[in-house]
Amino acid sequence: MNCYMFPGQPLTHNAQLPDDSDFSEIAELTLLRTGVNLHDFTRQGEDGSVSAMLQIYGVAMSLYQARRFRLQGVRPDLIAEHSMGIYPALAVSGSISEGDALELTWRVGCCMNSMKKSREYALGCVVGLTLEPVLSIAENNGVYLANLNTSRHFLLSGERRNMEAAETEALADGAFSVKLFPSDAPLHTPLMAEIEGEMRGVFSDYRYLEPNLPLLDHINQDFLAATEITEFMIRELELPVYWEKSFIALKKAGVGKFFEVGVGDSLKKYNRWIENEASRQ
Amino acid sequence: MIEKLISEVKQLIIDSLRIEGMAAEEIETDVALFGEGLGLDSIDALQLVVAMEKDYGVVVPDAATGTLVFQSVRSMAEYISENRK
Repeated sequence: MNCYMFPGQPLTHNAQLPDDSDFSEIAELTLLRTGVNLHDFTRQGEDGSVSAMLQIYGVAMSLYQARRFRLQGVRPDLIAEHSMGIYPALAVSGSISEGDALELTWRVGCCMNSMKKSREYALGCVVGLTLEPVLSIAENNGVYLANLNTSRHFLLSGERRNMEAAETEALADGAFSVKLFPSDAPLHTPLMAEIEGEMRGVFSDYRYLEPNLPLLDHINQDFLAATEITEFMIRELELPVYWEKSFIALKKAGVGKFFEVGVGDSLKKYNRWIENEASRQ
Repeated sequence: MIEKLISEVKQLIIDSLRIEGMAAEEIETDVALFGEGLGLDSIDALQLVVAMEKDYGVVVPDAATGTLVFQSVRSMAEYISENRK
């Protein structure tokens, strides 16, 4: 069985873009539905932010790559998603259109952008520590566990000054690597409840069809039904991503081949870590 | 001696990171492992830490040491040579 895995937001924009008709179509659709020009990474209008544009870039590249995989004859039997990978995952599973996925992502990004008017936020990748010390660091510094990607790869999220203190503590505790990234909002934390009403309004503007492929959610590892999608999208912004659990569930479901559909190869690397660790035990 | 270790380290990188479509001898000994060089990241680095410990009993104790060790294949081989049990 093949699984398409949709990663979350990329942290950087690669200026080298594909040059073919599929990408041209996606770029045109992106400009039409969001105002973001993928070629020069600019935006028509004043709303949005660099983070929101990176989210759009990530979704556009996922949609493009899904088309390319299909052209190469790689068809998915299952779909999995990580964080904001839910939006292209919904499109590729036939629940919403590609254009709606792009527009939805942009509107979510703009809502999140409004949060940084009152506070500065950051995300932080912590590599090397186990879950227990990471949870202590989060608690000690008033930040939250946002991703549990493997037994040694985590993402913390919260207010920037708290995240900086968490970074210092993680390094002092022996983390192999800690990297902070600015973020418009404290993604995957209860702090996102501040914009829940606004988000609910955005999500309710779209109609979600039944996914035509099983689409695994990253919170409970259940397959999403159309009626559950709006609620899942709200919850996922406020709760951590459990990638390790998702990978294990996908293997149990019989997936043999994983295809990362988007920018980078972090999910493949997490999978490699989880598999290697299982073989060591 | 160090040349043999360098070859082993290249194979360790290929095997532990499951790099496809590249032979060990194609990895340049002194090229940067991260960023513009081989393009590895912190997820890969931790995988290499585990592999070095398993194969050579060598521990990379902290982030600062890791930065020095994972500059290149040569620096990895030298660290293993100096610290192996």
